[in-house]
Amino acid sequence: MSIKRISVLLGKEFLHGSRNYIFIFAIVAPLLISLIVSLIFGTFLTEKPRLGVLDVGSSQLVPMIQELDSLTTKEYSNITEIQDAVKTGAVDVGIVFPADSDSSIQDDGVTELTAYVWGESLAKNRTIITVTITNLVRELAGQESPVNIETITLGDEASVPWNDRLLPFIVLMTVFLGGLLLPATSLINEKTRKTLSALVVTPTTIGDIFAAKGLMGIILSLFMGILILVINQAFGAEPLLLTLMLVLGGIMAVEIGLLLGISVKDFTTLFTIWKMGGIILFAPVFIYLFPQIPAWIGRIFPTYYIIQPIVDLSQRGGSWPDIAVNVFILIGLNLILLGLVLFVLKRTRQMVA
Amino acid sequence: MSRNAISAEELTYHYGELVAVDHISFNVAESEIMGFLGPNGAGKTTTFKMLTGQLKPKEGQAKLLDMDVTKRVERVRGEIGVCFEDTNLYEQMSAIENLNLFARLFGLRSFDGDALLKRVGLAGRGNDKVETYSKGMKQRLMVARSIVNKPRVLFLDEPTAGLDPVSSESIRNIIIEERARGAAVFLTTHDMLEADKLSDRVAFMNQGRIVALDTPHQLKQQYGKRALKAKVSTDDGELEDREITLDKPETLDAVHELFAREKVVTIHSEEATLEDIFIRLTGRGLV
Repeated sequence: MSIKRISVLLGKEFLHGSRNYIFIFAIVAPLLISLIVSLIFGTFLTEKPRLGVLDVGSSQLVPMIQELDSLTTKEYSNITEIQDAVKTGAVDVGIVFPADSDSSIQDDGVTELTAYVWGESLAKNRTIITVTITNLVRELAGQESPVNIETITLGDEASVPWNDRLLPFIVLMTVFLGGLLLPATSLINEKTRKTLSALVVTPTTIGDIFAAKGLMGIILSLFMGILILVINQAFGAEPLLLTLMLVLGGIMAVEIGLLLGISVKDFTTLFTIWKMGGIILFAPVFIYLFPQIPAWIGRIFPTYYIIQPIVDLSQRGGSWPDIAVNVFILIGLNLILLGLVLFVLKRTRQMVA
Repeated sequence: MSRNAISAEELTYHYGELVAVDHISFNVAESEIMGFLGPNGAGKTTTFKMLTGQLKPKEGQAKLLDMDVTKRVERVRGEIGVCFEDTNLYEQMSAIENLNLFARLFGLRSFDGDALLKRVGLAGRGNDKVETYSKGMKQRLMVARSIVNKPRVLFLDEPTAGLDPVSSESIRNIIIEERARGAAVFLTTHDMLEADKLSDRVAFMNQGRIVALDTPHQLKQQYGKRALKAKVSTDDGELEDREITLDKPETLDAVHELFAREKVVTIHSEEATLEDIFIRLTGRGLV
């Protein structure tokens, strides 16, 4: 393989392949769906996290919270009112500051607070509120003292917001449209138009062609994946790990795309396979769409190992230890697929060599 | 003496049980045009693919410029140019973009695409998308693409098929220019007249085998029938054809007798065509 020839072919893919309708579809479709979901489920240009406060003893923290632009704060006068507000979703989180809260913050080593959390609130809103309160408590205490916030979930915990439920589907679709469909259609296009034959009678090898198309798929799926996570405000938590997951997901998509591209004759067959195989690829998203479905079912499907770590990182405040096992399984799956791609490449090279 | 640019030894290929190419051997020298003739299914394209490294021979060996095609395929491909029968250009790209792409794939540092387009009669159309081109223009661009790297061996598969006379002539001129530059040209064609006109030697292929290989002149000498064709006027005033085969002991007497006994209206000599010879050798036509 030659890096120079791969870069020449990659340039051709981006300059001229971008006029291809699949290329445009791979960019437009995830953005459009993301926009529609945000508009329908109400977090497009999202409102700030809403915090309810019950201030029993005139805590100094309450005015500090009210001054913050990043939160919408509402004060309640008794415990029933704040619990009702959380249950109905009027606020994402309700915090109770007891009568002696300030003195216990300043005197004791550990601060204990009770927070009521609306079961359907967005994960990122919960995280923002918790982190903000913790920082303010430490500011008031004047030291890095430990803060324990006991959370009590109110409302229907199973009713995860639709934004959160649909995000795995949108991310997976983004990764697979760019990573799978684009290299596959590009290879089939080269075969049906016979331009592949023209390329392989130059010093260009099948390996160069595979590499260029694969790189194009990974770059596009990574770029679009990051964009979709950013638009859905789900990229902030662990950007490096999320990028790693998108790259690994892109590699899996590209490997499947190249296998399909070289073995499928025409677009009709490809789209038939896409429709049928799509059930396997997209099956794991059902466990997020309908949380009643047992989560273990997702583990049967290879794409679960792409999407579960992304959900853990972007929605559940997870970090490397939470996703490590799934990442290693995904790497294993990618290596198996790579073996298949290399086998097909060798066979194709023998045929075309 | 020119050295061999293409050397095929006992080249064989079969698709399952079907033998497409059956132990064929031939050489093509530098600055030589070899016409490769045969009907559909004769094995021309399979031979073409084995020589250009697209198919690995099941038996035998193909060498280009003394390099084994299967072992040094990348080096070989840097030295060859291939023009396919079917148009396989990037149609959404312009002509100049097509040529530049291939020049970069061949690793050329300097390349004048405009000069090449001028050579094939496409000057001024270089920035137009190929999809707007006529069939003749596309074919000329295909030929241009095949000589981007100034190949030492040029493979042309039916380069003038279905083209108007002007486009065909333009392509023939380029083939002759490439031979003059020193390239060996491997030309597969159905067009016997074209092969006769261009080729230094021709090979007839039938059912996977080469049934004859020589210069067109020698083939005509060896297998052709030279004759005198005459039209004579009968007593009724009607015209009838007469034919006298040349190169026979009784030819002279037959000519004397013709003029003595008949009223000769027209007379001309006729040489066998490659097509006649092909039919004689294979018992079938080219299509």
